[in-house]
Amino acid sequence: MSVSKRSQAAAPKPQVKSRPKPNTRVGRNESFSDLLQIHRRLAKNSGRRLVQTPVSSFITVFVIAVSLLLPALLFSLNSNLTSVLAGFEDSAQVTLYLHAGISDADAKEVSNDLLSLETMNYASYISPAQALDEFGTATGLENLLQEMASNPLPGAIVVTPANVSPTAVDDLVRQLQDLPEVDLVQIDSRWLQRLAAISELVGAIGRVLSLIVILGLFFIVGNTIKLAVENRKAEIRVIKLVGGSDMFAARAFLYTGLFYGLGGGILAIALQGIVLVTFNSSLEALMQLYEGDFQLRGFSLANGLVVVLAGATIGWTAALLTSLRHIRGISP
Amino acid sequence: MIKFDNISKRYADGQEALVDVSFEVSRGELAFITGHSGAGKSTLLKLILAIESPSSGQLIANGINLSRISSKQIALHRRQIGTVFQDHQLLHDRSVFDNVALPLEICGYHPTDAGRRVRAALDKVGLLKKEKSFPAALSGGEQQRVGIARAVVNRPRIILADEPTGNLDPALSREVMEVFEQFQSVGVCLLVASHNASLIERLNCRTLVLDSGRLVADQKPRSDS
Repeated sequence: MSVSKRSQAAAPKPQVKSRPKPNTRVGRNESFSDLLQIHRRLAKNSGRRLVQTPVSSFITVFVIAVSLLLPALLFSLNSNLTSVLAGFEDSAQVTLYLHAGISDADAKEVSNDLLSLETMNYASYISPAQALDEFGTATGLENLLQEMASNPLPGAIVVTPANVSPTAVDDLVRQLQDLPEVDLVQIDSRWLQRLAAISELVGAIGRVLSLIVILGLFFIVGNTIKLAVENRKAEIRVIKLVGGSDMFAARAFLYTGLFYGLGGGILAIALQGIVLVTFNSSLEALMQLYEGDFQLRGFSLANGLVVVLAGATIGWTAALLTSLRHIRGISP
Repeated sequence: MIKFDNISKRYADGQEALVDVSFEVSRGELAFITGHSGAGKSTLLKLILAIESPSSGQLIANGINLSRISSKQIALHRRQIGTVFQDHQLLHDRSVFDNVALPLEICGYHPTDAGRRVRAALDKVGLLKKEKSFPAALSGGEQQRVGIARAVVNRPRIILADEPTGNLDPALSREVMEVFEQFQSVGVCLLVASHNASLIERLNCRTLVLDSGRLVADQKPRSDS
């Protein structure tokens, strides 16, 4: 254990005149490839630390994933509803019930008049006799109905408006109501409007929930980073003693936050897949009862990317803010 | 380079660590600070590192008035000072090489440039072969020398050392002091807190003697040697 002779021979290297300018700025000599090297190293170290404590790292990632999953599922449900609505949109249907005693010929004329309007896509007259037939077939009460003395059903005209927006449909209904032959106007697609309102509500809940979740994630990641800073207090103290800025010490924690967020986002997508598979099998059973064909769709690629990016951004920002705050409090 | 002007330091608990201390150490000067433990040696070094701030008086180091220094300036100020700590202050999850490279990393040196400087510094303290070891695998004396390599790697203008030879045998102590003298000869200002009376005697340097926080003697080197 002795100082080598060579080192003594290597006379003092520091020369005051040739001394490089005082290194007062971080990043003075950093080119892009140096930066890349530094970041690769920081990322590797952060990753290694996360893997060293697999259970607690996983719990944090899982909590982040579940938090991201809730609003993401709501948005997903909402986009499913919207796409259902879109499928029905062009089939808004309005039925005009005519006064009793309007002859078939008169009714047909009204129907043709309506069809000639630009605001109408389709109009068709259903006579009372036709209606009775259809009712009888549908209910299986043909024999009973034939014995009735008179047909109690009114004639009806079924129309499909060209413009299907709720206000346009309402305007049209008011117009049709004023026709002398018309007794009652009924919008068959009223339930669609209700569904649209529900979808709107789900969207609003999703937005509020997102805000709450973002705040919650800040606390989760922040608290984890706070503990990490606490664990590495000695190291931060040394860094500060040899002139490292708070930001320099904080760099080590940024990738930790980023990885938590990224992991949470990716796990959220996986969990969402599991939820959808579970839902779809029971939904299929339900839909078979209604002879419908409807499947919940998962995140689109873009939505998935948004979830992962949101997680990563929140993780990184929370790590930056909390680590700086706590590092500032450590004095050497 | 370092100028104490009527510096007093009273801690929050009322303890008087330094009382009315005035002295100046210039470029290319090597001065020892000595005195029994608790005399204020460590406090004096902490003041220069801006870890503590003086209660009264004016302290100027490297042209900066440390009585009025912002927290941002503190980091920049410390980069101009190489410090050898009594308890080494090494990072135990990093190799010897990475420990010595830390000040260069902080200053943003190019990795290849940094590597060259780190090896030169390790060579100076005779630890070139241990660059891949971790501090825990080294003896106390070796850890001490890693700390010295880290203190000089950045070619600082001021070197502070708190008992740098505390864990070293006489031969190694002499060699470490030779490294310090090399820096002294190129204009670096060195302040070494030490108990090692024989070493101080042999080196014949300026010696500041502290007693209960007061500067009781400022012995200039003997002119006969």
